[in-house]
Amino acid sequence: MADARLRRVNKEIADCRKDKASNVEIDLVEENPFHLIGTFPGPPDTPYEGGRFSVDIVIPDSYPFQPVKMKFLTKVYHPNVSSASGAICLDILKDAWSPVLTLKSTLISLQSLLCSPEPNDPQDAEVAKHYMTSRSSFNDTARYWTEIYAGGPPAKAGSSEQKDEVAIAGLEKAHVDQFEALGFERSKVIDVLRRLNYRGSNVGSISEDRIIDALLK
Amino acid sequence: MSDYMSEESDGEYYYDDDEVMGSDRAEDEDTEESEGEEADYGSMEMSVTALSKPKKKVYEVDYECLATSDIDKSMAKEAELLCSMLGVDISTSYQLLRFMNWNKEKLIDKFMEDPDAVKEKAGIADTPPKFTLPSVAPPPAPAPAPVASSSSSNSRRTTRSSNKTAAPPPPVVDEGWSCPICCCEPEPPTGVMALECNHAFCTDCWQTYLTGKIREEGEHSIRCMESGCNDLVSDTVILGTVPDAPKEGSVVLDDETKDKFKELLVRFFVQCNSALRFCPAPGCDYTVQCAAASTKSSLETTVPTVRCTNGHSFCFGCGEEGDHRPLICTIAKLWLKKCQDDSETANWIKTNTKECPKCHSTIEKNGGCNHMTCKKCKNEFCWVCMGPWSEHGNAWYSCNRYEEKEGVDARDAQSKSRASLERYLHYYNRWANHEQSARLSLDLYAKTEKKMQEMQETSELTWIQVQFAKKAVDEVIKCRMTLKWTYAMGYYLEKSNQKELFEDNQRDLEKAVEALSELLERPIEPETVASLRQQITDKTVYVLKRNEVMLEDTANGFLEGRWAWNTSISPFIE
Repeated sequence: MADARLRRVNKEIADCRKDKASNVEIDLVEENPFHLIGTFPGPPDTPYEGGRFSVDIVIPDSYPFQPVKMKFLTKVYHPNVSSASGAICLDILKDAWSPVLTLKSTLISLQSLLCSPEPNDPQDAEVAKHYMTSRSSFNDTARYWTEIYAGGPPAKAGSSEQKDEVAIAGLEKAHVDQFEALGFERSKVIDVLRRLNYRGSNVGSISEDRIIDALLK
Repeated sequence: MSDYMSEESDGEYYYDDDEVMGSDRAEDEDTEESEGEEADYGSMEMSVTALSKPKKKVYEVDYECLATSDIDKSMAKEAELLCSMLGVDISTSYQLLRFMNWNKEKLIDKFMEDPDAVKEKAGIADTPPKFTLPSVAPPPAPAPAPVASSSSSNSRRTTRSSNKTAAPPPPVVDEGWSCPICCCEPEPPTGVMALECNHAFCTDCWQTYLTGKIREEGEHSIRCMESGCNDLVSDTVILGTVPDAPKEGSVVLDDETKDKFKELLVRFFVQCNSALRFCPAPGCDYTVQCAAASTKSSLETTVPTVRCTNGHSFCFGCGEEGDHRPLICTIAKLWLKKCQDDSETANWIKTNTKECPKCHSTIEKNGGCNHMTCKKCKNEFCWVCMGPWSEHGNAWYSCNRYEEKEGVDARDAQSKSRASLERYLHYYNRWANHEQSARLSLDLYAKTEKKMQEMQETSELTWIQVQFAKKAVDEVIKCRMTLKWTYAMGYYLEKSNQKELFEDNQRDLEKAVEALSELLERPIEPETVASLRQQITDKTVYVLKRNEVMLEDTANGFLEGRWAWNTSISPFIE
């Protein structure tokens, strides 16, 4: 069976290299055919457009009867991808896996996951909340992440070279400044506001007292 | 009529199984030997009273222990019934039932509404059923279970040869075809298989796939390997009983995997049926059927303790091994969880900490002098007497002011706040004590065995006459089990007259058990052995009666709704 696994992986890599149209690439990590890195472009008409995303791929021993293990190496701001670890929540990587699926088709599925998030089955609850409350603010943040982590085009003209912590957290600069002015540390303010999902219409429903309470904890 | 025919052939076929099923049953059914076969097969609801005692006590339930072959028969019976009702073949019938979690009524409803939709959802290939009813099938009638050995598949083959539904035609593949999974190129047509959906893969891949699904993932309904394809792999393919299967190019799984698959089928059936439960003992494959305890509400008033043919006793309601009478499942579970979570912590808190006399924060003293300053409320007090430090003056390193009023008050307050902890530990320690004793039961048996030997050597007593000692040990162990759970029950009972009566019973039983235990520890002396025997025998009978009283009273209490639970538990009941 080990032969079959190697034969299959080699064929998959070769097929993928032959196929230029899909723009999906698979490369070996340290000459090991069972540990790979796949990359694909962010889908057009999404906040991920223009970025190039890489995915860590580990082929398990019982591949292709067990699903491949994949996680994002590039940081992605997406409800179904952990913003911290890159872990992915996608059915075909779990129970819906079929031995017929290939590395290329799985990477393409990841690409389409970026087009159509499933906020009701989130991997990252905070990001999912952001997505649900304020789509435009979410898109801004996702675009900013694409810019700074995935090499996407600058989101706004004149955005600085330096990474903007407030934009990474998907918050409004004015809000952070407001609480920082009360004497709290900037990083703590960002942390608390992000956790409370202080965005969009939520701004009206979260009282300042509650934020200050959380800041004092 | 079809039923009758299969019944007969079944009886014959399963005869062997019955023989090995265990002596218990064989003995008990001696009297009905002549009609045994038929009655045995008869129905799932057969009222075998063989295992229950002639007069049922209020704390006992009616139940029956079934072997795997009995479950097979029940499954087969349901599947066959569906066969004739829905006009599908046996393998499809099994798969439809599994798809509906063996809910026959629901399946019939849905199927009558729209058979194609049900079949499609279940993943059964849409080939027109050319099924021949068992009643018109030439004898021998089809053996029902795919879960059967080669003899049944033979008989099925003869009846099914006209019926192509289970034998997929070999897939048509072009020259140079390669398996999309392993990329091998088997010489067509050998080594290639497809289900009715025509997704062809090499048989090696099928074998690996099926083996993995069955052995590692424990799946009993396996779909085609193609992504998104809903087609089920039929039982006949997995068990290698496809009629007219070509020698080459068919999937052959090893026997271990097939057995595992059959086991999965049985397990799933048992799981779907609330009146059935597997014996939880490792390696035991008996199933207990207990209709009386199949509903949630029945468990609020009864503790269905059952014993499988191998002698493993367990609770039918919650699957807990052993016997948690008299306490009902929900509360027993609550108690076990509490013990798991709390007992260690509670004991540690009790021995290593005190509470600040002012703000009641729990404090661990991990060094330093006795002059304590509470981190939280800044209260200064003495660790030894718990009184305020201000009264201590300069006697900093020793406290000789134990009797000072303030200190006494502080200690009183402390003990009050610890009352609930103490209360819990009171019950827990007694519970644990009986638990520990029960765990040592093996030792006790060994010791008793030795004593019985000794008695036979040193006195006139014969083997049969010394059996009283073993009987006494049996009883002691049983009663300790009851006692153990009465402490869990006592913890949750609200203080009332009923609880007092309960505790009286508990005390009587405990006293009797301890007395009997002590008698069993007595040294054997030739002169006194006869009187000791008398004493132990009497005591055993007394203990047995006390245990019955305890169990009966608590069981009646549940039925009458006599027990009032304290606040810590009320949200969990009802």
